Amino acid sequence: MIVKTLLAAVVAGLIAGVFMTAAQQARIVPLILHAEQYEGKEPASVIPGTDTPAAVQSENHEHSSLAPPSFPTDILDALSPVTPAHAHEGEHDDGGIMFGMSRFSGTLIANLVAGAGFGLLLAGVSMLIARPVTLSNGALWGAFGWLAIHLLPAIGLPPELPGFPAADLGDRQAWWMATIALSSVGLYLLALRPEIAAKIIGLLLIAAPHVYGAPQPADLSSAVPAVLGAEFAVAALATALAFWIVLGIVSGILNDRLARMA
Amino acid sequence: MATSKVSSVPLSLNDRITAGILALLIGSFLVFGAGLANSAVLHDTAHDVRHSLGFPCH
Repeated sequence: MIVKTLLAAVVAGLIAGVFMTAAQQARIVPLILHAEQYEGKEPASVIPGTDTPAAVQSENHEHSSLAPPSFPTDILDALSPVTPAHAHEGEHDDGGIMFGMSRFSGTLIANLVAGAGFGLLLAGVSMLIARPVTLSNGALWGAFGWLAIHLLPAIGLPPELPGFPAADLGDRQAWWMATIALSSVGLYLLALRPEIAAKIIGLLLIAAPHVYGAPQPADLSSAVPAVLGAEFAVAALATALAFWIVLGIVSGILNDRLARMA
Repeated sequence: MATSKVSSVPLSLNDRITAGILALLIGSFLVFGAGLANSAVLHDTAHDVRHSLGFPCH
């Protein structure tokens, strides 16, 4: 039964991961590809009379593979296994996408793995606090997962495009994980405990990492237009919310079936 | 709904704790691998996903 319960969580995560891959192609991936045209460039070298930095204009001709995808040729390119697209050309000498897969396949695999992981985390929390994920509360579970893992950490470290300035990676990862842990406990105390004291402590836990402050870069200038960053942050958070609601609802459906079978 | 205290997940208390901890461990491992692991190959494969999910990246 343990195995079945865990498998149900994994399956829900895989389904949500497939959904996520499709949803990302709509808004996220075009924005990332657009921003990569500016990545590594000096800020503010703009050709007179245009809005486009000089580096980008010449860059477009050299790296046409990094241009925003135009349907359907680029989708077909992305599906082809013979086009090994590097996330950052020349940045990592020993990098490259696993098994020489295309960029799209790499994204799909990563979404499946992350989806299964989030599905298991959701199931694990629900089992430990004895509040099962069902079809009727699945969307709420998903929304709370999104709050704890995406929205609350995003207050300090919003989803960023490639090429934006950022503080040391290790510092940000540590702050990010601590914020998720505190936010999860805080949300549990705030939403699921009846005591007023618990709710107050929950609020304090949620606020604590933001009072402490997220690691910030020393220099904020970037060659990537700020508008792209704003569009990306909203698109990423919205896509993640959709992912979590799908994950919660599918988990609920599978759990309900499992409960009926037993 | 709020009054039904007993889990509809058909597991005994011990099994529930075991399964819950197992799920958290495996789940963290998968999310860490996809989102945080400091390997160039994993990073490049999961690059767009890391940005999309707001994982700290680069």
